[in-house]
Amino acid sequence: MIALLRRTAGRLRGLFHRKHEERALDDELREYVEASVAQHMARGLSREEAVRAARVALGSLDAVKEAVRDVGWETLADAACQDVRHAVRRLRSRPLTSLAAIGMLGLGIGITTAMFAIVDALLLRPVPFRDADRLAQVVMHDEHGGGGDVARPVLRAWKETPVFEAVEGHHSTTSLIESGDRLVERPTAVVTRGLFDMLGVHPIRGRGFEEGEGRAGTSDRVVISEDLWRSAFGADPAVVGSHITVNREPLTVVGILPADFRFPTAKTELWRPIDYEAPPPDAMARPTALVRIAAGIPEADVLRVAANVAHAADPSTNRLQAFTRPLAGAYRDTYLTGAVPLLTGGVLLVFLVLCANVSSLLLERFTSRRREFAMCSALGASRGRLFRQALVESAMFGTLGAATGLAIAWGLVGVTRGFLPESFLLQTLNPLNVDYRAIGAASLSGFLATAAAGVLPAWVGTRMNAANSLRVVERGGTETRAARSVTRALLVGEIALACALLVGATLLVRSFVNLAQVDRGLNSRGVVTAWITFSKSLDDSAARTATAAVLEDGVRHLPGVTKVALSWGLPPGGGGISFGDWRPDTAGAAPVSLVVDRYWVGADFFDLYGIPLLAGRTFRPEDTSGQVIVGQRLAAALWPGTSAVGRRFTFLTQHFEVVGVAKEINHPSIDVRQDHPEFYEPFTAGGTRVMISIRCGSACPDAPLIRRRLTELSPDVRVIDVRPLDSVYFKQLATPRAAAAMGFAFAAVAIVAAASGLFTVLSYGVSRRRREFGIRTALGSSPAQIRGLVLRDGLTVALAGVTIGSVAAWWLARGLASLEYGVTPADPITWSIVFGVIGVTTMAACWRPARQATHLDPVMLLREE
Amino acid sequence: MAQEPTQSSLVQGTLDMIILRTLALEPMHGYGIGVRIEQISTGVFQVNAGSLFPALRRLERDGLIKGEWAATENNRRAKYYSLTAPGRARLKQGTRDWEVQSAAIARILQASMGEP
Repeated sequence: MIALLRRTAGRLRGLFHRKHEERALDDELREYVEASVAQHMARGLSREEAVRAARVALGSLDAVKEAVRDVGWETLADAACQDVRHAVRRLRSRPLTSLAAIGMLGLGIGITTAMFAIVDALLLRPVPFRDADRLAQVVMHDEHGGGGDVARPVLRAWKETPVFEAVEGHHSTTSLIESGDRLVERPTAVVTRGLFDMLGVHPIRGRGFEEGEGRAGTSDRVVISEDLWRSAFGADPAVVGSHITVNREPLTVVGILPADFRFPTAKTELWRPIDYEAPPPDAMARPTALVRIAAGIPEADVLRVAANVAHAADPSTNRLQAFTRPLAGAYRDTYLTGAVPLLTGGVLLVFLVLCANVSSLLLERFTSRRREFAMCSALGASRGRLFRQALVESAMFGTLGAATGLAIAWGLVGVTRGFLPESFLLQTLNPLNVDYRAIGAASLSGFLATAAAGVLPAWVGTRMNAANSLRVVERGGTETRAARSVTRALLVGEIALACALLVGATLLVRSFVNLAQVDRGLNSRGVVTAWITFSKSLDDSAARTATAAVLEDGVRHLPGVTKVALSWGLPPGGGGISFGDWRPDTAGAAPVSLVVDRYWVGADFFDLYGIPLLAGRTFRPEDTSGQVIVGQRLAAALWPGTSAVGRRFTFLTQHFEVVGVAKEINHPSIDVRQDHPEFYEPFTAGGTRVMISIRCGSACPDAPLIRRRLTELSPDVRVIDVRPLDSVYFKQLATPRAAAAMGFAFAAVAIVAAASGLFTVLSYGVSRRRREFGIRTALGSSPAQIRGLVLRDGLTVALAGVTIGSVAAWWLARGLASLEYGVTPADPITWSIVFGVIGVTTMAACWRPARQATHLDPVMLLREE
Repeated sequence: MAQEPTQSSLVQGTLDMIILRTLALEPMHGYGIGVRIEQISTGVFQVNAGSLFPALRRLERDGLIKGEWAATENNRRAKYYSLTAPGRARLKQGTRDWEVQSAAIARILQASMGEP
């Protein structure tokens, strides 16, 4: 141990006192020579002869010194410094290709890192809390399922169980928060005191909840999110300790939680305390249980104990079993399970394309420096030393690329947070940042990029035998064969990858276009919708319906408004979903099992939205709740082939009579099961919310005016949201749009990278073959023939790439099937677009090198010798 | 001297051992070590500076020998190397290993030569 320390110390000394050591070595060698001379003179040689003999015996003094220096790693570090200096010089000597290489690596590493951050947040680490693998929600289910909540005695009993280190409870709700004259609705959680500690979150201002809070009289405390603090309260520090109005009730803000904290949903912005031992009278009866499982206990044992304890505490659970559920990421939609892995694959493909491109760029750099390498080699540099030097240069690109990539990733993740569809972000509690894991991913991909893009060129570039390579350099004949085959193979790979990506992207874009063009069956242009909520004082449906009628009338008289209709929702928002057996009145007909959307709509609804009635009539004021208008699909399902008007049907205990049949409403979704058949009931304000649809002539009144008008009309009304319907629909297509945009961006990067790779390689090839072309021209080749040589080179590569790429693309397209809408993998338009784009790009990339080749003057070339 | 061992056949470990052995008797400077090795081996081993100095540097780095500047017999300054305690231990260990190995090799060579 001590020896090791001493050795290390000696080595460090060696590093820092290099000059001193060099001098000592010089002295020592001089002394050696002197001693040798003295010896020779003692044998009777003259001084001159003795010096000569001593020199001969010693050999090259510098070689000896070099050999001594080579001992130990400090020389390695020294050589590395030299290599780095050399690499920096090299980097600066050709700034354009250097920048291109670093830019490409940076882009590759940047998108890879950003994608990793997204995948990490969505799939790998959706629960970003301390020891997240021991955190779980515990539920009591039987084989038919069950609720997510438990009775309070169960929560209490679990707290006393040693299998759980901690047990906390919470439930979710929403709150209407007053901020100035605006009313904002925010998801809210009611949580027990220890929950913040359990998840390891600390307030950025103020405090969390304390002992005794959340009982009757002390439940008027609230913790708000940083986002809410900034957006609704202007980041005013005085908010902590002051009152805010939530659900018309004054609450004291005691703390602010950091923006990165997301629980129990990604959007929760308000937390209120509850003590389930002595809750306020209006509290929810059953909390959701959140536990931290004690370390080292198998899950089966934990669940068995939890179930037994629950059975004892709450006999109604006797037939239920305990299960754990993750805090997030348990439910994943088609896009998350289908698109994210595919996009990740796409990113990796782009990464590979860029690496291949950088690889060919570096290869070109290194092979064009064969003269330099040959010279070094002739002067005694070993292959290893040259290889190391070339590798250091590559690693330099890798490092700079990784730094650039990190900056790009940071920007991309920022954009993504705003741009990723909400449905993605809701499936994770991870705030999606470039965190230390993403930085690790960037470093790793930088390393991989260096390995992938740097090793091969360094190996090929420095491979030579001195005599041969010196000759080749002198003659400057054609491209070296190894470099040629490597660059062509890389290019074929690049074009194949670009082709596959392009097919995938085109399919996604076409799917999106198809989705956006779906005929919804209604006219949404120029319609503004306003969601309102009634206060608790209007506690009966008739009173609310009457108030709604007042609002409808009042809005109708705003300037520009032509039609107004009340409803509870509009596809796909609002409404109700009923699933089960629907019985038509046809004698002997079997019940039809269907998922059906139900909407409560006013008489003007169909007129306002331009939904044609195919049969029967629209609603009249005297219609009762059993009289309904059914959509085409439901009508066809219940009474195939016959008219539905006047018929009756039954759902559970409800009876309906059809007064009209409306044209079917579609809403675009790649998952066709989401688009249910629908029927309409006459409007009543059954719930506390109502949607008012407003159609305008030339221009609609702006949102604040509508908002103000509505609040003036009735003191019992709060306006939640006023917005054009098209913006709602626009948002609805966010996921397919994001997938299409990302796919398109990746394909664009890949195709540009492949084209620039082709261009670089061909230009380089032409510059190497100048002499050959000159001789060919001198021997009578026409410019067209010369051009043909270069074009053939490029087109061969492109053709090989497209052939391989088509096979890959076919696989990719089939993998994308779940995300395709209205297109198939064999879509002829897609394939013609892809082949067209690749053909045009190839021609564009080949054109200039080919022209260069024909513009060579043979006389000039021969004189260059 | 028909079969003179070439430099390359003198494996690194062997040279290190020979140097340590040489220094076991008394501290010596570089040239002295070279001469002494040649003398002791009756001219079989000729160590040139290109091998000797890297070996000395290596041994010094590893703490097996240490160098000190001192006056020579003809009143010049030279770097004298001497064994350190770890160096002595290494020499002892190495000598034992060497004996075991060379005895084994000798037995094998003799056995095969004894066969008809």
